Amino acid sequence: MIASIDTVESGLAVCLLMTAIGCLFDRHLLRACWLLVLFALLMSAAWWYLNAPWLALVEVILGSALTGGGFIYVLRTLPSQRLSMPRYDRMRVEWPHRLTKGLLIIAWSIMLGVATQFLLPDMALSLTAHPLILSSVVIVSLGMGAFALHHHLMRRLMAFNVLGSGVFLMLAGMAGTSPSAQALITVGLLIAWLGSLLGVLLLRQLVHQEGSAALNDEYAPVRPPS
Amino acid sequence: MIWRFGLYDNTFDPLWMTDWAFAAVLLLPMVFGALGAVFRPSRLLPVALACLPILLAGGVMVLDYQQVGLLRWQWEVAGIELTLRLSGLSALMLLITQWTAAAVAVYTPGYLRLTLPNASVRWLWPLMGLLVSALSLIWLAADLLILYAALESMGLAAVGMLLLSGKSAALQAGMRYLLLALVGSLAFLLGVALLMSQWGTLDLIALEARVEPEPLTWVAAALIGAGLALKAALFPLHGWLTPVHENAWTPVSALHAALVIKASLYILMMLWGILLPETLFAPRLVAWLGMLAIVWGGLVAWRADSLKTLIASSTVGQLGYLMVAFPLVLGPNIAPLPLSLAWDGFWLHLMGHALAKAAMFMAAGNLIIATGESSLKALAGTSRRLPLSLLIFGMAAVTLMGLPPSAGFTAKWLLLQSMVLTQQWLAVAALLAGTLLTAAYVFRVFRYSFDETAPRHDYQPLAPGMDAVALCLAVAAFALGLLAHFPLGLLHGGGA
Repeated sequence: MIASIDTVESGLAVCLLMTAIGCLFDRHLLRACWLLVLFALLMSAAWWYLNAPWLALVEVILGSALTGGGFIYVLRTLPSQRLSMPRYDRMRVEWPHRLTKGLLIIAWSIMLGVATQFLLPDMALSLTAHPLILSSVVIVSLGMGAFALHHHLMRRLMAFNVLGSGVFLMLAGMAGTSPSAQALITVGLLIAWLGSLLGVLLLRQLVHQEGSAALNDEYAPVRPPS
Repeated sequence: MIWRFGLYDNTFDPLWMTDWAFAAVLLLPMVFGALGAVFRPSRLLPVALACLPILLAGGVMVLDYQQVGLLRWQWEVAGIELTLRLSGLSALMLLITQWTAAAVAVYTPGYLRLTLPNASVRWLWPLMGLLVSALSLIWLAADLLILYAALESMGLAAVGMLLLSGKSAALQAGMRYLLLALVGSLAFLLGVALLMSQWGTLDLIALEARVEPEPLTWVAAALIGAGLALKAALFPLHGWLTPVHENAWTPVSALHAALVIKASLYILMMLWGILLPETLFAPRLVAWLGMLAIVWGGLVAWRADSLKTLIASSTVGQLGYLMVAFPLVLGPNIAPLPLSLAWDGFWLHLMGHALAKAAMFMAAGNLIIATGESSLKALAGTSRRLPLSLLIFGMAAVTLMGLPPSAGFTAKWLLLQSMVLTQQWLAVAALLAGTLLTAAYVFRVFRYSFDETAPRHDYQPLAPGMDAVALCLAVAAFALGLLAHFPLGLLHGGGA
């Protein structure tokens, strides 16, 4: 079984995982955005590897160019000095919050892994033989955890994007890359792009009007020491 | 059960005229929406003229359905099968969608003229067009790919519309709604992926034939259910609804409460009908939550300080009635008679609520514009100065309370009969308690409005047609109750 694992695929999976972690947990937002672009390019390579060149093209255009470009554009136009939520996420996350979300991530990983392993004995691309699919399970739970953990809305939107990519990869793992699966993923990518675009534009408006990049009731802004 | 959604093979090809009507129903709203962005109509007449061909096309489709029976369209593009069908239920939902949306569209120019909104107003028309197109597509869709695409475009259009007022609170509420909707869409997609991997098809008819009750189906149904419940604001997941409605423009709230929420509920009913036929636990859980929703929504509405909070909370409670009907339609060992009664009651209540809630939001919007305030206390003295708006509010409330002769009464009567036949006494109690609570919060509004001591004289006059449109919707909710044989005939797949 181990022998059947492809080095290219393993390398791709490890790179995807590292970029995802970097993108999700880097507090420097611009760097995180570039990591998201890189992540999308790696995703596109993964699609190419899974014999879905059409999806690879869509991923390059929608995932990396349009979504990543949108994030970076909005981040560059965010006023950086005047307001309390600059390009660096300084929002503190309390330890109990972290602990619960960490447990959430672990629980999600286990649940997803168990569910896919036991409910779907005849997956198109099995977990044990395909590190890409295995990494997608981890990416989904990391994305879910980061989405719940962060307060900064831009980081939450990025987490949504990573989570979405993980879900698409899982979908390909479960259902293969038949034309209808590819169509489903394409629609998903389109929706994720439109949703992210709406989200970042909304975020920019929020920062301009309120000077805060978090939802009000979730995070009481603490002025950073100047 | 599933034939009621029109998911079976048929032999007739649609007529050429139906094909054109079909294209018009799906495309014209978007075309006119784009035109609206360019010309920004400020009068009622051009909007009404634009609505006319869409309504006509919808009418043609329904007439064809009555003559021919189930209509189906099927294409294969690059190995992907796309299927649409027009069943009696879809025809009915299409009619309700088009007429409610047309009423909202006709109401909008006057509203915009009076409230003098910001520059983002030009986005309203294209988003409204997209929303109506997406809704029509949802009623017609017969495969999961189209359903997913339509559901998500509807969701994004709805978020966009709710943000337009531009207030900080609206942006905050909209952001929360957007994040929830996006995560909900991923849950839905994951469920669809599970189904596709196991049964190898996205077509609903084929899926229905292949699907078997096993853990994987249940997990998929749970994921799909969670995603849709989030979007439909079903009880424990309703937290985003009130802030969103409180800060949005009135026509947008009306469309959202009347149609957008119902679309998710329709999909949920259809997919669970396929995936969980005759299951005990899941529909029962929904029903228990529904009973809580009826009581909770009623109580929150009763304690509400602002008119829009009251209406939004009442939506949560009214959705509870629909949730309570789940085990009657989907549960095991339900005799044909109670099943049929519950089915009729479910859809009649859904449609009656759509019309009445849209009318109520418009009437409340009129009251808020006229008094300049959104709190209940500001209504003092409106009974003398704004009797028509208040009357419309009352008529819509009659439907919500379920007093005869409204659609709400007929629907609740059917549901009640079905519950008594299946001896679900707890659900009967919840239904009755809900009616009392609805009466309590509605009469609370009237208590404020009949306060004669208030010294207020400066009311903003309304634009022509604003009250008339709301009145038409409220009367339509009554008519739906009195002339229930027409919608029920369509629901039973009659006409052919």
